[in-house]
Amino acid sequence: MTEDFTPTWEDVAHRYGRKIYNFAYRLTGNPDDAADLVQEVLLRVRKGLDSYQPGSFDGWLWRITRNAFLDGIRRKQRRPESALPEGDHHTLGSSPSPDEVLASVRLSDDVQSSLLKLPYEYREAVVLCDVVGLTYDEIAETTDVPVGTVRSRIHRGRKQLRELLTWPV
Amino acid sequence: MARLISDPDARGELFSAYLDGQLTTDEVVVVSDLLDGDEELIREFRSLQEVRRSLRLLPEFEVPANLLPDGHLGDRLSAYLDGELVTLEHRRVTRHLVDCPDCRVELQELDRARIAVRSLPGVDTTSTGEIPVTPAARHTRRYVAAGIGAAAVAAALVVGLAVGNGDEPAFSLDDLGTRHVARASAEPGFAVFPASVEVSFP
Repeated sequence: MTEDFTPTWEDVAHRYGRKIYNFAYRLTGNPDDAADLVQEVLLRVRKGLDSYQPGSFDGWLWRITRNAFLDGIRRKQRRPESALPEGDHHTLGSSPSPDEVLASVRLSDDVQSSLLKLPYEYREAVVLCDVVGLTYDEIAETTDVPVGTVRSRIHRGRKQLRELLTWPV
Repeated sequence: MARLISDPDARGELFSAYLDGQLTTDEVVVVSDLLDGDEELIREFRSLQEVRRSLRLLPEFEVPANLLPDGHLGDRLSAYLDGELVTLEHRRVTRHLVDCPDCRVELQELDRARIAVRSLPGVDTTSTGEIPVTPAARHTRRYVAAGIGAAAVAAALVVGLAVGNGDEPAFSLDDLGTRHVARASAEPGFAVFPASVEVSFP
């Protein structure tokens, strides 16, 4: 999104809703949490757009998303419940064979459950990089840490994943 | 360089960042040198590449449709009629109206309601000298100028846009704008709050 352009919240919803949903899903493994986060972020965006100063819109949006996510985690800590991954039961794509579907589900289940075992900082960096598609600079801005820390977290996250994954890497 | 080769974490960071296209030109050269003929490092690099690939191949889910706005204009329609939208937003709304019969019908209904409210009797002075002010009159005084402007701009932007087929009521933004302006000129109570009347708001 261009730097000096302020979108409407409807634009944000349609353009970023899916990314926000997938960000939360991959961090929590829970579709309900992901849906809650989308609602919360869109609400905050709607309120915040009035005072938004044109600049790095993506940075602004992902900071909101991250803060909303962390607030949600804090709320959940007061009423703990299971956040175990249920698996990717609604994978997208065009008519893969049954074997491919099974392999894909097993693989993504494995990756998802391994992701959830990573320390939060590593998981967040990896998801922002590989699921959301942010650059290291954008992740640094979003998470408010230096780029070097982002680089280190992404690598450590992937390294731990390599050890956690059950399929040969 | 020696530190990089002997420190597995620093080396791995370089490999990861290389895969993400986040290295400087000098660092890319370092990675190329490291991978030149060293089978063990090549295996390490490939294993990181495979982890990254598996993450990026994770299926992407559709956000549930009920979480997203339906794409219609909602409360922006009233703001549009009242001339409260800034230029960019105004253009967007106009563009949407051109393509969306549902929103055009809603705009027409809102406009009827708006006209009805604005047609309420004007303000009379009372024996106590206080002036009762209806919400409509208050609203009129504040926004009438902007409203006329918005209607005129809308008309100008979509001149020629006249819709209506079978089930849809015939409707033209041009007509809307013309009606607003004509009414504002003909009926001061509708569009222009008497300038000489001072009002006190509760």
